[in-house]
Amino acid sequence: MDPRMCRKISSSESLPEDENVEYEVSNIMAPQESEENFLIEGSPEPNSVTWLDDDQIDELDLNLDQTNLLFHRVDSADIIYRSKKKKCKMVGKYVMGDVLGEGSYGKVKEMLDSESLCRRAVKILKKRKLRRIPNGEQNVQREIQLLRILRHKNVIELVDVMYNDEKQKMYLVMEFCVGVLQDMLEASPGKKFPQKQAHNYFTQLLDGLEYLHGQGVVHKDIKPGNLLLTLDQTLKITDFGVAEALDMFSPEDTCYTGQGSPAFQPPEIANGAEQFSGTKVDIWSSGVTLYNMTTGRYPYEGDNVYRLLEAIGRGEPAPPPPALGPALGALLTHMLKRDPALRPSVHQIKRHAWVQAQPPLEPGERFIQPRSRRSDELHTSTVIPYLVERHYASAQEYFTERDLRNDMGEGGSRTMSTAELSDGESTQQKRRWHSSCGRLPSCRLT
Amino acid sequence: MPLFGKSQKSPAELVRSLKDAVTALERGDKKAEKAQEDVSKNLVLIKNMLYGTSDAEPQTDIIVAQLAQELYNTNLLLLLIQNLSRIDFEGKKDVAQVFNNVLRRQIGTRSPTVEYICTKPEILFTLMSGYEHQEIASNCGTMLRECARYEALAKIMLYSDDFYNFFRYVEVSTFDIASDAFSTFKELLTRHKMLCAEFLEANYDKVFSHYQRLLNSENYVTRRQSLKLLGELLLDRHNFSIMTRYITNPDNLKLMMNMLKEKSRNIQFEAFHVFKVCVIN
Repeated sequence: MDPRMCRKISSSESLPEDENVEYEVSNIMAPQESEENFLIEGSPEPNSVTWLDDDQIDELDLNLDQTNLLFHRVDSADIIYRSKKKKCKMVGKYVMGDVLGEGSYGKVKEMLDSESLCRRAVKILKKRKLRRIPNGEQNVQREIQLLRILRHKNVIELVDVMYNDEKQKMYLVMEFCVGVLQDMLEASPGKKFPQKQAHNYFTQLLDGLEYLHGQGVVHKDIKPGNLLLTLDQTLKITDFGVAEALDMFSPEDTCYTGQGSPAFQPPEIANGAEQFSGTKVDIWSSGVTLYNMTTGRYPYEGDNVYRLLEAIGRGEPAPPPPALGPALGALLTHMLKRDPALRPSVHQIKRHAWVQAQPPLEPGERFIQPRSRRSDELHTSTVIPYLVERHYASAQEYFTERDLRNDMGEGGSRTMSTAELSDGESTQQKRRWHSSCGRLPSCRLT
Repeated sequence: MPLFGKSQKSPAELVRSLKDAVTALERGDKKAEKAQEDVSKNLVLIKNMLYGTSDAEPQTDIIVAQLAQELYNTNLLLLLIQNLSRIDFEGKKDVAQVFNNVLRRQIGTRSPTVEYICTKPEILFTLMSGYEHQEIASNCGTMLRECARYEALAKIMLYSDDFYNFFRYVEVSTFDIASDAFSTFKELLTRHKMLCAEFLEANYDKVFSHYQRLLNSENYVTRRQSLKLLGELLLDRHNFSIMTRYITNPDNLKLMMNMLKEKSRNIQFEAFHVFKVCVIN
């Protein structure tokens, strides 16, 4: 049985506010014997379960066995959830949509600019959570400062920054991207891309890196998790939380601090060197990224962070598999040289045979996976249901526990919820929901 | 396919008939009109071969390779560009499309067309002088920018004497030509960072004496654009030594301070970017 379900049933009057669970349980009241489902509207507060007292149960006049009153067996198809009411919310001139992702600092949500009708993403930072992260506030300030200056097609653009002093929240409005490279990798078979696709992303990463290094910015945390993709397959480098701007007048690129992700750290940081060349750190981590994209593995692996850093520090990488071909193999070994001085610069990589050549077409290009059961292959804006709710009839979707579990069982792939509902009205409502979507063609285009 | 009977022509024939038509056009006798028609027709056929049409796929690699080989052998690309002003409007666009497609063609890591143009730099110089003729300027511009993407070709253009003509082209009175020329100019100076850094360092005096004229130009757009580009160039770390050299000259600081006094806010803003570099040091 789904653990979430257990919690829902066993909890007493009011549930703790769990923000992960977007669904509220309308009512659970369906013994095995009865063929009907009951749905009671108007629970006193959202996110709470309405419990019926004995009198009410008697009123329902169910032919229940007295022995069965203690433990009901509830069929998963008989637990009906109602999707949370989509209440349209505006922050500044932006209409809020669904959650795209979540990090330690807060959430990332989709938004729609109500003036330009551009899709945007917003990173919501909570002061309270930020204080708990070491260097959290400084990192955010630095990220904002850097992103304000940077403007390149392969670097994420910061559109707007808003503060809400009452809620102690900060909103960073950024370009909208549909997916993270990391998620795509994890969803694809073998956790790797065909060479053609990896080549496409890697050349874009190089363009972005060349620009960043040209502006004297060292990212220091290049990894698939920090590379986003837009709808037209443009790669965007994001997360400048640990990036560093070099002094404009120093001819070298020496850095003193490194705080990126362990698996992507070069030996000099793993060994705890006092100072190191900044740009070569990015070269190393893009090397690891390329290795990861093409093989689905990491050049260094370890059971835990210490083992991993030790392995990196010793510097014996797993050699690139020969299946990759000689050109890519040579590039990878060159980029993952232990001595930073021997690693190539971005320009040298750009001139490398593998980067210059067009890899042959291979079947099986991976696409960006839909995020959840309610998003679709076309990545339609999640703001639209909120707008529909605001301007048209109130529409609600019903689905059962079984659907939910089926969805999760299939690894998040989308199966149109086939909610077998007892009342015909809700199916009708669902249809109206879809038809009213069609009335907003302009929103779909954005 | 009966509708496209003509596309059955082999690439060699197609190129030959196009060449005949272009030479007839060049002679410019009475049959010029007929020749122009032929040129446009053949160009459309070649374009369809490379790009395909709405109901026909592009031709196979072998045919395209043959076509490219014929184009090199007959020197047709140069001929077409030289006579671009005589070809009709649609034809000019077709020439640009065919040129760009052939240029992008790759065999493994090699780009044969780039190698071919390296041996025939006249093509580039003819394209660059295209900015002098209003009617072909924008077509030449698209072809030039495509060329500038390749380091070898960009190098030829940068180190040629014709490059300094750009300082004139960006100031011509026709706005669209001037801005087209400026975007090509910018592309050349910013696309290949290392190449540009080397070039600027080697030709510092010559380039910046020309550049000074742009910064003092009467034309508001030129002044603003060139100031913006200067800021970008100096702030790029690849051009570190150029920046140090630029800011050691007190005249430049004086110029920037005068720019800060300008009426236009945008110029003030761009000048500040350069000014801050001078002052921080």
